[in-house]
Amino acid sequence: MIEYLIDGPLWYFSLAVFCIGVLWQLARIVFARSKTDLSVARGSATGGAWRNVFSRFVPHHEIAPQIRIQVVAGYLFHLGLFALLFFAAPHVLFLEENLLGFGWTPMPHWAFIVSAQFAFLGLIMLWLRRVVNPVSRLISTLDDHVAAILTFVVMLTGCFALLEGSTALRLLHRFTVEIWLIYFPFSALMHTFTFVPSRAFTGAWFGRRGIDA
Amino acid sequence: MAYLLQKYFFSYLTRPASIILLSLSLLLPQLSNAAVPQKHEDFPQGVSAVNPGSELWREVRQRDLPVTGVSQVKGVETGVLINPRGDQWARFRIENPVKYAPMVLGAVFLVLLLFFVMRGKVGIEGGMSGRMVKRFTDYERIVHWTLAIVFLFLAITGLILLLGRPLLIPLFGKEFFSLLASASKEGHNLFGPIFLVSLLMMLFSFMKRNIYEKGDLTWLLKGGGFIGDGHVSGGFFNMGEKTWYWMVILIGLAISISGLILVSPNFGQGRVVMEISHVVHVFGAIILTAVSIGHMYMGSIGSEGSLEGMKSGYVDINWVEAHHDRWAKECNENEQVVSAEEYARLQGRQPDKAMEKGA
Repeated sequence: MIEYLIDGPLWYFSLAVFCIGVLWQLARIVFARSKTDLSVARGSATGGAWRNVFSRFVPHHEIAPQIRIQVVAGYLFHLGLFALLFFAAPHVLFLEENLLGFGWTPMPHWAFIVSAQFAFLGLIMLWLRRVVNPVSRLISTLDDHVAAILTFVVMLTGCFALLEGSTALRLLHRFTVEIWLIYFPFSALMHTFTFVPSRAFTGAWFGRRGIDA
Repeated sequence: MAYLLQKYFFSYLTRPASIILLSLSLLLPQLSNAAVPQKHEDFPQGVSAVNPGSELWREVRQRDLPVTGVSQVKGVETGVLINPRGDQWARFRIENPVKYAPMVLGAVFLVLLLFFVMRGKVGIEGGMSGRMVKRFTDYERIVHWTLAIVFLFLAITGLILLLGRPLLIPLFGKEFFSLLASASKEGHNLFGPIFLVSLLMMLFSFMKRNIYEKGDLTWLLKGGGFIGDGHVSGGFFNMGEKTWYWMVILIGLAISISGLILVSPNFGQGRVVMEISHVVHVFGAIILTAVSIGHMYMGSIGSEGSLEGMKSGYVDINWVEAHHDRWAKECNENEQVVSAEEYARLQGRQPDKAMEKGA
């Protein structure tokens, strides 16, 4: 019964909430009304947008020493998670059989394990920085903590099910993924999709005013 | 076709080791049937006969030391058909770590409970002043808590793997334990290298201040203040903290290296190396877990004001003077002490609330 629920209705429900929720949130951003900028343009908004999207991958030299651990842990976590999510053999097989109908070459098992280790280390350090640093702690909301802990739980149940020999452990992992998918569109996890338009918007604003930042 | 059969199948059959293995695989099912005493109408009491298989296995085993034969299979110990040390190893594992680990950990809990009942929370003479000194940076605290989280995870999953069979199966049953053990094993193996990385971060960020210096021996001789007049001089880290640090680093490295040997059995290490690694890994982990329980106690409910250093990065100047008077002198000389209001501002709190807390 539980197996049927997790593999069937709950999976489709969570997937629907995720897709509709993400599209709805992106549509809200795209169609949001903003005041028309009547000032005389001092530079290119488009150029500023593109510049900002890419320049923010590297921290500004003036603040780099203060946020070094955040940058290193951030890259460890995000690159590790990306590799796990899209190139781990069980995930590639799952996406092929359940969603896409086609697959691609997965990474070798050792790379899968190393990616998971990077992702775990990065996530633990990022969350600790959020808690330990007074400024980060003050600007963090409950949602930030829930999003980090939920992502950690999903990764941990995935790690528990690595042997791929137990239906119960597989179901536990899938159940936590479904909870994560439902939570995703209404949380800070949306930054997966919004970081590019957010950077572009700020960059365009800067570019139009001739701000080099 | 005949050529292929000749090349692969018959050539396989002509290998000496293969002949032995093939014979045994054909013989064993027959032997296992023969080993069961057959009931017969004429012999209702059954017929007892010596299992002929026992003679065969005795011949194969021959003696207590492993006999290395010749095999076409290339690899570590592939010529050993039976290694009698395996039995000895299994007995050693059951009779030693599995038996002594709960005793050691139970004893630590008991000692700490007795200590708490007798001494209670070790307070600071004159109480807290509210004036604070920065003890640890954000990075140092992140490194500490990363290591702590990963270590706790490894300790729990490791204890499940070590003691689960005798302790958890009677409580939860075999089916649940098999799930728990499988999950623990995968988690333990994956988090092991993360422990090594965080250990190296700990080594490099704290090493300089943990080198032994003049005065540390006095701290040891006075039992950290428990022997004599009760006060003992200490620097930024006292002798006890330095010893704990080097225990974490050295035993942690031993556990990590032995763990890597155990988790990657395909690098040519033989059974003996694996067994030694297992002993180092298990006994090192038990020692580190036992001492870490003491560390957690002293860093939280056992000693007033200690946890604040790893929570906010700041400690009260009275706490510093009580436990690290030489460092307190440096702080006062270098004007590193901040007021309660300044500390509250640095922590993003309202100063009046902090004052109330400090008072």
